[in-house]
Amino acid sequence: MNFRVRAATKEDCKDISRMIMELAVYEKMPDQVEISHKELERDGFCQNPFFQCLVAEVPEEQKSKEGFTVVGYALYFYTYSTWRGRSVYLEDLYVMPEFRGNGIGKGLLCKVAEVGKKEECVRLQLSVLDWNTPSRDFYAAKGAQDLTVSEGWHFIRFDGQNLDNLANEAPKD
Amino acid sequence: MDYKLRKAEPKDVSDILRLVKELAKYEEMESQVTLTEKDLLEDGFGETPFYHCIIAETPEENSSEDPKVVGFAMYYFTYDPWVGKQLYLEEFYVMDKCRGLGIGSGILRHLSDLAMKTRCTGMMFVVAENNKPSVQFYKRRGAEDLSQEEGWRLFRFDKDSLVKMATPAEE
Repeated sequence: MNFRVRAATKEDCKDISRMIMELAVYEKMPDQVEISHKELERDGFCQNPFFQCLVAEVPEEQKSKEGFTVVGYALYFYTYSTWRGRSVYLEDLYVMPEFRGNGIGKGLLCKVAEVGKKEECVRLQLSVLDWNTPSRDFYAAKGAQDLTVSEGWHFIRFDGQNLDNLANEAPKD
Repeated sequence: MDYKLRKAEPKDVSDILRLVKELAKYEEMESQVTLTEKDLLEDGFGETPFYHCIIAETPEENSSEDPKVVGFAMYYFTYDPWVGKQLYLEEFYVMDKCRGLGIGSGILRHLSDLAMKTRCTGMMFVVAENNKPSVQFYKRRGAEDLSQEEGWRLFRFDKDSLVKMATPAEE
């Protein structure tokens, strides 16, 4: 199958938003998606973008059943380790089910690694759900370590009312 | 104890590195810190900063001396495609002798306030499960453990694996 990996443009945000929802459905959390293509356009294509995105595209002759040619994406951003410096965090990696098994996922992952290497990043991190064995195996096969298992790291979050409460206690400047 | 929170400046990089190493020592991983003052300067105070930093300082007894840097928090902005901007707290440390005085709480509240002001819908970080004091500190303030509640595991590719994957694929 012919495919091309390229940097996303603002015009791709509707397709990216569609695939974000597909991935959320796969992860069994579709009701948690609150932003649309409008926020993606604003936050990914402003002067200091909050994320970077690559898309995988197939030629017109190989488009999906519903007529889409943008069939996969990788959304990532730069982070920082006080021990090692510049890092890349791969937030989302997704290929439409109909197009899997053709090396598109690998193509997207490797392109992110290439971009990271160019920016002198020393590591690439991501998170995977514990029941998502296909994804855990995919990353492990390429050399990723599960740090939750080996070092006991857990992801923590403050959001909604808890974040608000904490903020309301902040000392005034 | 009187303390002041402020944005880090280029002159603070040697104090930041000192505190980074102290925290690494506490986590028994001091030899893993390969970052230098030069890296911190380029990466935090160049054209596109990779991180932001808040400093906590206390005045010296002799007021003609510079205040002492006793704590810091390093953070950056990340993106959750479901809810948008997040504030990611990468490192958070207060010197041993200055603990129990409200400096840690003060830093956390300041960051939460900053998160709200910059339109972030959440503040995220990682904690090692065996770091019971830190886990309790965050849970008391309403934090959720997403690894426990939703099953998220943190994965990493180190430099060697990264370089292997970065070799351009056949077009």
